[in-house]
Amino acid sequence: MAKGESPLKQFEIQPIIDINLFGLDISFTNSALWMTVTTAFILIFFTVPFLRSKKTNSVSDLYPSRMQVAAELGFSFINSLLSDTVGKEGKKYFSLVFSLFMFILFGNLFGMIPYSFTFTSHIIVTLALAMGVFIFVTVLGFVKHGVKFFGFFVIPGLPFYMLPLLIPIEIISYLSRPISLSVRLFANMLAGHTLLKVFAGFVSALGIFGILPLVFIIALTGLEILIAFLQAYVFAILTCLYINDALHLH
Amino acid sequence: MPQLEQVEFFISQLFWLGVFFVILFSVLTYITLPKIRAFLNQRDDFVKSHISKQDELIKKAESIIENYEANLTEAKNQASEIINDAKDRALKESETLIKATEEKIQQEIRQTEERVTKEKDLAISELNVQLKDSATNFISKVTKIEKSNITV
Repeated sequence: MAKGESPLKQFEIQPIIDINLFGLDISFTNSALWMTVTTAFILIFFTVPFLRSKKTNSVSDLYPSRMQVAAELGFSFINSLLSDTVGKEGKKYFSLVFSLFMFILFGNLFGMIPYSFTFTSHIIVTLALAMGVFIFVTVLGFVKHGVKFFGFFVIPGLPFYMLPLLIPIEIISYLSRPISLSVRLFANMLAGHTLLKVFAGFVSALGIFGILPLVFIIALTGLEILIAFLQAYVFAILTCLYINDALHLH
Repeated sequence: MPQLEQVEFFISQLFWLGVFFVILFSVLTYITLPKIRAFLNQRDDFVKSHISKQDELIKKAESIIENYEANLTEAKNQASEIINDAKDRALKESETLIKATEEKIQQEIRQTEERVTKEKDLAISELNVQLKDSATNFISKVTKIEKSNITV
């Protein structure tokens, strides 16, 4: 990092290929590049180990290879996450939660590679994902329950004179879900990467004593990898909980 | 903050996010996840079938053990029956033998006693005759009476 460069420079979008479609700027940027890498990696990681074409119909077919075990780990992780929060009905939404979790997880993790770009550190991306979840869950609720879905805002067993106060609160909390969901992920990524860059600036600024912030950076990198996983997990489990709310109301 | 300043790239980011997420979601839903599921199901089926096979074998083994134990107890019963039988027979045989021997001994005792009494009677009668003779002799000698006239 050159001296005096802003720690926020790493979040700058740089167009790689300028594309203009019907007057809209849809340039292929560094953000899109890392989305490509993430998508390609996820698809290769989870598909290729299961492409064994030769079938010997023997027991050895059933022994998973190392890559299969790794892929299976992610599969069963989301499987248990869904069945713990939603139950058996959750299986229908498996691929949605799986795609969201893996997309965010590997987006975060690839963002930890030096000189890469973290597309989950952009509020527009996380907000789009969260709004997608929010709209999907709301539509799901109306499809499952029709008008009764509005009963979601009425807490059962509450005295009626409390309703005028609590229904607006419930509606506001419901509407703020996509905001909290997106800002949580965005802010975590932003703060972590900014902090890393700031301390990286100290390493060169302090000369020989730069060893101290260097040690700190190493520890912080570990923490950031944990946070990368944790935020993907939080996003996935909240999606599961929202699906559960839409399916079962209260 | 570039996240809020570079508004001109919002459309581009949304566009590519949509493109890649839809690609990811579709390929995962229609190709990858069914493949993983099929693989896992295949393995689960294999394990389940082996578990049921194992249960069958365990049942078989248990029935064999039961059979064996039944046979064993039967054989034991038979053996004890045979032993009891033999004991009974031996006891009976020995009893009859003892009885027969006792009877024989008794008989012999009786015969001997009879013989003894006979001999005793004989001896007594002989003694009587002799005594009579000697008495008559003695009396005739003392009294000078003819022997034929004396009756003892």
